[in-house]
Amino acid sequence: MSVIAPQFKLSEFIKSLLDNAFWILFLMVLVGLPALMIVLFVIELPVIDGELLTPFLAFTAIVDPTRILPVIHALMATDIFRVAVFPGFGFAALLAAGTIFAERKLLAKMQLRVGPFYCGKIEGILQLMGDGLKLISKEIIIPAKADKPLFWAAPVLFVATAAAFVSLIPVAPGWVVADIDMGLITVFAVIGFFPIITILSAWSANSKYPFIGGIRALFQMVSFEIPLILSLLGVVMLTGTLNLSEIVESQSTFPWIVFLPIGAIVFFITMLAELERIPFDLPEAESEIVAGWLTEFSGMMYGLVQLGTYLKLYAFAALFVVLFLGGWHGPMVVPPFPTEILTEGIVMGPVTAQIPGLPLFTQDMLNGTFWFVLKTVAVIFFILLPRGVFPRIRVDMLLSLGWTKLIGLCFVNIFIALGLLYAGVLGPGGLQ
Amino acid sequence: MFGFAMAAMAPALVISRMISPRKSSNPVKFLPMECGQVPTGEGRTHFMMQYYPYILMFVVFDVMAIFLYAWGSSLLYLPKSATLPMIGFLGIMFGAMSFALYQSGRRRIW
Repeated sequence: MSVIAPQFKLSEFIKSLLDNAFWILFLMVLVGLPALMIVLFVIELPVIDGELLTPFLAFTAIVDPTRILPVIHALMATDIFRVAVFPGFGFAALLAAGTIFAERKLLAKMQLRVGPFYCGKIEGILQLMGDGLKLISKEIIIPAKADKPLFWAAPVLFVATAAAFVSLIPVAPGWVVADIDMGLITVFAVIGFFPIITILSAWSANSKYPFIGGIRALFQMVSFEIPLILSLLGVVMLTGTLNLSEIVESQSTFPWIVFLPIGAIVFFITMLAELERIPFDLPEAESEIVAGWLTEFSGMMYGLVQLGTYLKLYAFAALFVVLFLGGWHGPMVVPPFPTEILTEGIVMGPVTAQIPGLPLFTQDMLNGTFWFVLKTVAVIFFILLPRGVFPRIRVDMLLSLGWTKLIGLCFVNIFIALGLLYAGVLGPGGLQ
Repeated sequence: MFGFAMAAMAPALVISRMISPRKSSNPVKFLPMECGQVPTGEGRTHFMMQYYPYILMFVVFDVMAIFLYAWGSSLLYLPKSATLPMIGFLGIMFGAMSFALYQSGRRRIW
């Protein structure tokens, strides 16, 4: 069988494309731009608004703040900005990347190692980028007899479900991707998808270790879902709403962890179990079953699953902050925007720049984001900490913990909330 | 956001597939991972029934726990007398759960 180009390699093809693009740009700068100048010199161009219309006005508009700031404002009001950048994917991915770095260094310090050290001069800060490049250039090996469509879809679905979870988290007043009245119920619905994706990917791999890991993940997530749901009932009873933004608003004086510490502790433990972190990392127990349900993933598929795991970690920590620690509430630490910039403009020596659309973010939003990130990082630290301290527990211990002790504590929590409400401490006529 | 993440992450797999080497030199390479052994038998084996009761319990009590939210979210607007039947419901749920846990602990019947 003859092939047109037996030596064809897609990587070299892309390299040649990039080479060509580089040379085209290079020649355009050296030859094209001078030629354009000559043409502009010859042709007479119209004058609009007292300005000569030239193609270079586009460059001026980009660097002129009075023209570009309204564009940025309009962009920030769109849904795509919220989904892709600020309360959504970019923000969460940044925090997730920070979490991975902090986890490695923290764990290394606990075990008297140095952790990532060489990549990026300062304490190996670019290690994650190096790992990402390595993963994306690795070959993806799919085991024979695997269910290929499911196997390919599983990592993407995992990341997408974690992102759907992230989209429900309110970060600052008004800054939330999806502000749903049934927010908390939606959170439970999204959490319910993770075991399904896990068991599907484990089933599709047609290998024994992933299958064992997937079954364990299913048992673990399913057993801890009921304590998770019941532990948050106290908060809903005291606030009388399921909307996450309204739950944050209700904590302006006291965070609910003051009144419902048992619920907070139970929720934290179930959070560890849902995230498959030590001491509940049975689905990925690397010393028993190679890597659990991740065994057959290679290359970028593994990278995507890791990204999804850390997005999920951020989302759970943020949910804890929203429900128990008061979300964006905190003392005002961000200084107000200097008013003389609004009235007089920025004075730089002889030049005065009048910039009309300047406060890009309001003071409330910056302050709220600051407190939210601070609390979330604190919660993430407490999620990371057990990894250096605790051993893994057995599966029957896990099940008995989830089904007897945590559910019992959840009932205690519900009655504490009822008591607080009917004793008049909280609710209408009470403190809040 | 779900759709955005799908649209943003699927290209990562495609790019990875494009720039990574692909050689199908040896069929052993595509065997499932079993630490160097050649795997025998089915990959999708039967699993133990030992923990099956927990799945059954989940199906029942998950729905019951979600029902509690309908009550919890409207508790502030209900009269106090409406709480007594709910406490009865909680008692039934607690009792049923204890019984189910007791049954699931009896290993011989599973």
